[in-house]
Amino acid sequence: MPDRSAPPAGAADQYKPVSVLAGAPPWLEMRGITKVYPDGTRALENVDLVVAKGEIHGLLGENGAGKSTLMKILSGILPLTSGRILLGGREVSLRSTHDALAHGIGMVHQHFSLVPTFNALDNIILGRGALLASPARAAARARIRRLMEETGLHVPLDIPVEQLPVGTQQRIEILKTLDRNVDLLILDEPTAALTPQETDQLFTVLRGLAARGTTIILITHKLREVLALTSAVTVLRHGRVVGSRLTEGATAQDLARMMVGTERMPDVKARREHQKSEPVLRVAGLTVKGDGGQDVVKNVSFEINAGEIFAIAGVTGNGQSELIEALAGLRPIARGRVYLLGQPINGKSPRELYRMGIAHVPEDRHRLGMVAQFSVLENSILGVHHEPRFRRGVPGTIHWGKVRRYARDIVRRFQVVTPSLSTPMRSLSGGNQQKLVVGRELSKSPSLVIAGQPTRGLDVAATAAIRDLLVDIRNEGKAVLLVSADLDEVLALADRIAVMYEGEIMAILQKDQFDRERIGLLMGGVRDGSAAG
Amino acid sequence: MDPRPVEPQELDAITRRERRRQLRAALGGLAEILIALVIGLGVGALVMRGAGYNWRLAYEGLLIGSFGDQWAIADTLASATPLILTGLVFGLSARAGYFNIGAQGQMVVGALAAVAVGAHLSAPPVVAVTLAFLASALAGAIWALPPAFLKATRGVHEVISTIMFNWIAHYTALYLVFNVLNDPRSAERTVRVLPGARLGALIPGADMTAAIFVAVGVAVFMYWLLWHSPWGYEMRIAGLNPSALRYAGANPLWSVNLTFILAGLAAGLAGATQIIGRPPTYALYGDLSNVRNLGFDGIAVALIGRNHPLGIILAAIFIGAMGAGARMMQIMAGVPLDMVRIVHGTVIIALAAPEAWTLLGKFLGRARARRAPAPPAPAKTVHR
Repeated sequence: MPDRSAPPAGAADQYKPVSVLAGAPPWLEMRGITKVYPDGTRALENVDLVVAKGEIHGLLGENGAGKSTLMKILSGILPLTSGRILLGGREVSLRSTHDALAHGIGMVHQHFSLVPTFNALDNIILGRGALLASPARAAARARIRRLMEETGLHVPLDIPVEQLPVGTQQRIEILKTLDRNVDLLILDEPTAALTPQETDQLFTVLRGLAARGTTIILITHKLREVLALTSAVTVLRHGRVVGSRLTEGATAQDLARMMVGTERMPDVKARREHQKSEPVLRVAGLTVKGDGGQDVVKNVSFEINAGEIFAIAGVTGNGQSELIEALAGLRPIARGRVYLLGQPINGKSPRELYRMGIAHVPEDRHRLGMVAQFSVLENSILGVHHEPRFRRGVPGTIHWGKVRRYARDIVRRFQVVTPSLSTPMRSLSGGNQQKLVVGRELSKSPSLVIAGQPTRGLDVAATAAIRDLLVDIRNEGKAVLLVSADLDEVLALADRIAVMYEGEIMAILQKDQFDRERIGLLMGGVRDGSAAG
Repeated sequence: MDPRPVEPQELDAITRRERRRQLRAALGGLAEILIALVIGLGVGALVMRGAGYNWRLAYEGLLIGSFGDQWAIADTLASATPLILTGLVFGLSARAGYFNIGAQGQMVVGALAAVAVGAHLSAPPVVAVTLAFLASALAGAIWALPPAFLKATRGVHEVISTIMFNWIAHYTALYLVFNVLNDPRSAERTVRVLPGARLGALIPGADMTAAIFVAVGVAVFMYWLLWHSPWGYEMRIAGLNPSALRYAGANPLWSVNLTFILAGLAAGLAGATQIIGRPPTYALYGDLSNVRNLGFDGIAVALIGRNHPLGIILAAIFIGAMGAGARMMQIMAGVPLDMVRIVHGTVIIALAAPEAWTLLGKFLGRARARRAPAPPAPAKTVHR
């Protein structure tokens, strides 16, 4: 993956934090913004946001705090219910993304909107003609080259973007936005899929852009990023502004307190030390093919013992998903042997694996772990719905009364917040959906729990709750396979860490070998100072 | 925003509130249907008025002809009988995520089987009727198997395969009617089923037979299946989120096949109701006119009934009433049959439009979801 297109360091050095709070004149003013959705949800209540020209401003808050809603209003995607937006002292009306772009406001979304088979040039100029060779295309190419020189955002223009690393795709998205003459750039969780190194490079680029006068608003819930990059930060909670403050002098604890309203950082429960005994899961020489038929998990071997959390770290897309699917019976094993408590599990179906003691919290809970339109009640027996304990006398009839008791038990034990058991799953917040999924899986009394990205997209409180549950089952002497792209989570929870890169396990680290920088390098394919792959 | 936190003990109390919400939603659905009905009838009235007919008299005739007396009601229910079954074919399949339009062909095959067994198997009345129903159900199910198999193994889209099988069934039936099952004494129809295999009229002078109980029984069975059995639970998951079905440990292929087979059974039974359960013919016409379009009408029935078995019964009775009332519309208001059909069409389109729209959105949405990764998953990169 080596991505050596780092920007010139000079531009970034010129960046000096600018902020209205430090006396700079306000440029963007959002005043008294209120947003009420048609269903009556008050997503924003009298929100003020003031940003100076060339400022990097963090917008911090938990999921559902209203960050994205506020920025969608600013980028013309959503209409506001009441409030005013001023640019340079003049009130503007932003009724569409077109309006917003005309005022120089552009947003880079968390999920890229690139055409995978198009190259960067085509993607950047898409929708504005010149897709065929022509003088206009040559002009566009020259213009974008100039833009790349000015900003330090270097990308290869002629390679299909699907062949480029995520970090590069992100740069293309940013270039695409800047090419529309944007001077207010909104970034929504830009580092979600990046390696630590890619994140550093991105930050350097952003500092350079700000030094040139581009104003940047960064939506995030990562405290570290706010501290590393921004001049000032506005914290939202439940649709209201908790406060704005200069980043300088702030600590992670300060920001977390503003964000969640309590002193408590997402600390992990105390782990009980106990004798680790026989391996629960033994994986020997496992190879798994991807959707394209190529090997995406290559000859991987490891063991997981009872009473330990074995974490697999790595950038998303390096074979972790396929590894989980193979272990959960959702993807065939191409080569190698896998044993659960000594029993081979090759070729077993998900239902047989469940009977053998594997519970699976899937990475993509919306696609696999739940049926969004089904009620909480119906979702609580997904995977165990065929069991005799939920039947009644009439052959094959589900006893919904028994299911109700079972579901109520899960809701109570795992503190799922839901208006009722008949509420459709999609009406729950992400954290409560995940609590139900985790609760349902743990209620299967498994000996191995496979947890894929269990806290992705969840707010601080839900994240803490899920992490506590994982430590609990570890303390109960069960084996946990944790796959997470969140390095902090892996470091906080794991007893041992395996780093995956391009389908291989680069290294398995013991607790005393945990080192953020080393893991970051392994995630980027660098082993002992030399690039792999 | 999170819903308001509640104590788990409160859950049941709040479930009552949820029930009220569901009731309101149901009433909203009912209002939607009534508005659609008014729009459809209104457009129909405008059309008739534009063509110079007395639309009030026509609608009066429609009402009298369909619900005016016990014979009218019986005729309405007789017309509704096959439509309940073909409506269930589409409705069940739609619940399981398939656009199964094979009811027509499966019904034709079922009708042929009813003729073959009913006309040639001599048995005591109850046994003969049962065997004829079983044979037609089996034939319908068998006819549904190739599209199911093609879908499960080769990914052939069911719309294509079921249309093809409809035509194969159509021409096979034409061939058999004239060459194998033909009646030497009457060229325009097949041999009639033996008296022992005939269901008699429940009210003398009207067409309704005990076949209506079969149709309603199948609808009740489908309701139980979908909402009270693990198989129906899996079918509904297959319709909403097939990946979750695999995750839940079920075999999606099995679910595809089961859905097609059960739908085929219902379609086959629909064919039988027109042969052994419809006086006075008890045979299949050479132009297949007594099974014509019933399979396709079932799609409209399912859409109007919102793909719910009980809704399908009501919708089938409604469409049946339109059919039964057609004659009185012609007699009382002098509206020609073609005009009657135009009016029927506008009403049906108005009623079916909301569900058709939803269904279309669902299918298109799924196609979109296939092209783009699911929202929560970050973009993946392939390093090669």
